[in-house]
Order: sequence, then structure tokens, then C-alpha cells
Amino acid sequence: MSGAIEIIATFAAEEQCVGGIEALRAARAENFRVFSPIPSEHIEKAIGRGRSPVRAFVLTGGILGVLTGLAITIGTSWEWNLVAGGKPIISWPPFIIICFELMILFGGIAAVASFLLNAQVPALESAPGYSARFCGDRFGVAVRCDETEAQKVESILGVAGAEEVRREQAQPSATLPNGHDG
Amino acid sequence: MAAAAPEIATPTFSDVDRSVLRVMQTPGLLYWAWIGFCFTLVAIGAALWTRQIYEGMGVTGLRQPVMWAVYITNFVFWVGIAHSGTLISAILFLFRTRWRTAVYRAAETMTLFAVMTAGLFPLIHLGRTWFFYWLLPYPNERYLQPNFRSPLVWDAFAVSTYFTISALFLFMGLIPDLASAREQARGWRRVFYSILALGWQGTDSQWRHYSMAYLLMAGLATPLVISVHSVVSWDFAMAQIPGWHSTIFAPYFVAGAIFSGVAMVITLLVPIRKLLGLEGLLTPWHFDNLAKVVLLTSLIVSYSYATESFMVWYSGDPIEQTTFHMRYFGPWGWMFWVMVACNCVIPLLLFSPRIRTNLSVLWIISIFVNIGMWTERFVIIAGSQSTNFDPSQWGFYRPSITEIMITVGSFAWFLGLFSLFARFLPIISMTELKEGITWLKKALHKDYARAA
Repeated sequence: MSGAIEIIATFAAEEQCVGGIEALRAARAENFRVFSPIPSEHIEKAIGRGRSPVRAFVLTGGILGVLTGLAITIGTSWEWNLVAGGKPIISWPPFIIICFELMILFGGIAAVASFLLNAQVPALESAPGYSARFCGDRFGVAVRCDETEAQKVESILGVAGAEEVRREQAQPSATLPNGHDG
Repeated sequence: MAAAAPEIATPTFSDVDRSVLRVMQTPGLLYWAWIGFCFTLVAIGAALWTRQIYEGMGVTGLRQPVMWAVYITNFVFWVGIAHSGTLISAILFLFRTRWRTAVYRAAETMTLFAVMTAGLFPLIHLGRTWFFYWLLPYPNERYLQPNFRSPLVWDAFAVSTYFTISALFLFMGLIPDLASAREQARGWRRVFYSILALGWQGTDSQWRHYSMAYLLMAGLATPLVISVHSVVSWDFAMAQIPGWHSTIFAPYFVAGAIFSGVAMVITLLVPIRKLLGLEGLLTPWHFDNLAKVVLLTSLIVSYSYATESFMVWYSGDPIEQTTFHMRYFGPWGWMFWVMVACNCVIPLLLFSPRIRTNLSVLWIISIFVNIGMWTERFVIIAGSQSTNFDPSQWGFYRPSITEIMITVGSFAWFLGLFSLFARFLPIISMTELKEGITWLKKALHKDYARAA
């Protein structure tokens, strides 16, 4: 289903929204975007997407942090020897502390940066179908479909318990809904 | 003061939004008077710091052998205060603890401002503040590199990492709430919240990446919180000064940090709940659970005091024993007993469920804990240096007015920043409260067992 109509359904409860998503997927209508005021494992499970790639970024950030820690401690100790009390130039126990702190620092920065990158925020434009209430007290599902399929989609969402179902003309330049926007 | 919120028996998502966003309306004259008062004290502290920079460290009470005193006490105290924020926001998040949702934003905000306050004190204590960057590793042509074997360098890494991660974690959590605020705000506030919300719309794609990033941030912050105060404790434990050179300092300091931090959360939240009319969101159930954490950590801290004293007695080391004798009965001995009373005896009242849910009594107990924990830091830091190895080197410290007023200024700085945040940004997480709204409903109906 890819087309020129945007069907937007508003749900009062998370369970109804989950029911609507499951019904859409059962009817092979995969081209949709969900709006939610809260993070919901049920919605995520119903949509059936894979895990976020943020994990890989954080792992990379953490490893990079450890390597940076090793580089600055070992590197500078070699370059500028500080011979004190027979202590080894490369003193592992204290260097591990620096590596640990930098692992956390780089991992945390990577988490935030990869969230911004993958979730495409800052977002300068509203996603098609967005309504202010979707940040407050309502759940929303925006389905993009052809004119011919619109009635079927409306009926699926209505049966799932949507309190409002409306149509909008899809914007050709807008980012594609759920199935395609990462 | 915000108008009192109507009693809500079964709150909905919009009730939660209304209750929190109502607090963010234009504050009254009394609020601005309070902010003015806080920043006047900050200005006095800043003026005295300027004088200290101009005239030198002679304006403080720091004399041989006590060269670390009130400033370092404040540093350790504020870093400790910061810890409960990360405990509540990250560790309890990983454990999916239900009562954290209403209190974690305030605790996290407290963390950020407490670290900012703590970070001032090493700079103030340096004397020649402008050389602070000598602790940082950077390429230079003077062959000066930090000594990575020094706990003070570990501290610079640990505290700056802690500040960065705390700030990012707080901001991440704020984004969905700022979007809610944006949708209901008008005028300059709408522009302000729109910029901060980064165009958040709550799409499934945004939530998917957000949830993973937030979970991993919590996972990273958890070992960080343990490491930071351990590193702070090693500032002392790595030295050979009697009273400092102890292997139990890391867990002892971490427990003390959580103890003082949770007490500070109670100290801040009890008046905020009343003044901002948040009774419908911050219930006695939340305070009951906070009080249980205070009680548990008080017992750990008391056990640490006993273990420390036992080890000194059992070691048979006359220098350690003399230091501890002076700690109990020396010129600053009364502070030790204040510490014991505030940290070990008074918190025992929290065994009573009635006291844990009596917010006025709980608030007073939390203030005693704050006093006790500041005193503990002072007793360990300044007291231990007074009676060093050689009795001819002994000397007792007296804080100067500069140190006292800079300390007062630091409290005002912290309270002023926190008060500004509380009225202009969501001090309670709307998103997480909505997520756990069923537990909030149970808490409002005093169905504590089921809510927990």
C-alpha cells in the first residue's frame, strides 16, 4: 500500500492502538507511522521492527573511549617518563581508572549522538499526521494508502476502537511513514 | 507559589500534564524575591572568592598541617549529594522500580546542579584558579603532563565525566516532556520549549531509538555512580595520613553519598510538593520509599563507622589510635558526636512507618542527615590532618569568614538554580508518570502494597 492518501486514527488507549496496529499488519498494510505520548513496549512489539542500531554506536563509543584512555596514559607516560619511587612507567591499575571513565564518557556521548542521528532529531518539520495531542494524551496511527484502499483501512482502524479517523492528502515531499523512515 | 492542584482521585494522562505544566506558569513576586535572595548570597560568595584570588589563600583558615578543610569538605559533600540522582534515575530505572517515576526528575536535576556546585570547589581551593587546566591532558610544548597515578587526576576525569553524563541523561529524559510543554505553551515559552524539544513528535521511530539510548545511558551511568565516589574517596585513602589511609573508604563513601543525596531529595521535594501544589503526583508512598533508602544507607554508614573504629583499635597502631582519640574527644570532637547523632541515631526513627509518611517529621530528619553528612566529611578531612604523625606538627583549623560565606554562597547557588529549573522546566517527568499511571492511581488510593 503506497499511495496519495493519509488516514489518521486517534486512539484514547494504548491497547486499542496496539489492536489497530496488529489489525493493519494482518491486512498487510505496513506503510504506517505510530505516534505515542509514552514509550511502549507493546506498540514496539506490535510494529515488529528490529532492535535499534544505537547499541552498535554505544559499543563503538565505549571501545573508542578505552583506546583513547590507553593512548593518553601509556602514550604520554612513554613520551614524558615520570620515574618515581621505583614505580613502573606503565602503571596499569591507575590507568584502568582513566580508561573506564573515558569508556563511559564516549559511550554516553555515542548514545545521545546516535539517538539524534537515527531518530532524525532535531526535526524541523512535523511528520505527516502529527497532532499536538500525540505528545499529550492520545495515541495515533497514520497510514499511507491508495484511494481504493482507504475505506478498508478506515474500517480496520474504526473496528480497533479509534475515537476519530480522518483523511488527509499525502504530501509527496514528506518522509515516508513507518515502513521506510528507519 | 502556584495555586493548589485539585485533588484527583483517578488521574488521566491529561491530568498529569495539567498538574505539571501548571507549575510552569509565570511565577509570582515571592518567587522572584527568593531567587534574588539566593543570588545575592551567591554574589557575596563570588566577591569573597575574588578577594581570595587577589589577596591569596591567607584569607582562609588553611594553615599547616590542615591544608584541606571546608572547601574540600564542600566538594565531597556536593559530589555525594549528586549521587542519589543517578541512583534514582539510572539504577532504579534498570530495576523498573515503580516509585521512582515521580521523583527521578527532581533527583536528576539535583545531581546536575550538585555536580556543578562541587566542581567549583577544587577551583576555589586551587588558589591560583587560572592553572586548573594543568590537570587536563593536552599536547603542549612544556613537557607538562598530568601524573595519571595521582587520584587528583582520576578525580578530574571522573567528575567531568559524571557532569557530562548527568547533563546528557537529564536532557534526554526532558525531550518528550518539553514537546508536551511546547504544545500547550504560548509566546516566548513556545519558542523556548520548541528549541529544546528538538522537534520531538513521539513517532515510533523516535521512541525506538530513544528507548534504546536511554536504557544504555542508564546502564553506563550505573557503574559510573559507583566509580565517581570511589575515586573521590581515593583522594584520601591513597594518602598515608592517619584517618584517611583506609581500605573501606570506597564503599563507605558510596553508601554515605546515597544516604546524603536521598535525604537532600526529601529536603527539596517536601516543600516543593506543598509550594507548587504537587500533592496529587508526589504521594506519601513516594516519600515512604525514599525514607526506606535513607534508613538502609544510614545502617550501612553506621556499620562503616563501627568497622573503621574497630580496625583502628585492632591494628594496635598508636598513631591511628591517637588520631581517632582526637576525633572523638579533641577540639572538634563535638562534631563527631553530632555526626553520630544525625547519621546513626536520628534516622532510626524511620523504622516507624508512621514517621516515614509524616512529611513534616521526615523533612526535619532529612535536614539532620544533611547536617550529619556535611559534618562527617569535615571530621574526616580536616580532623585527620590536625593530628599528623608528629605531635610537634599538630595544629587545629578554624574556618575564616571567607570560607564560611563561600560555603553559604554554594548552598544559595544550588538552591537558586534548582528553584529556576523547578518553575521553568518540568520538575516531574510527565512521560514516565503517564507510563506508570496505574501505580500512581493505587498510591493515591493508599494501596501502597499493590503499587510497590
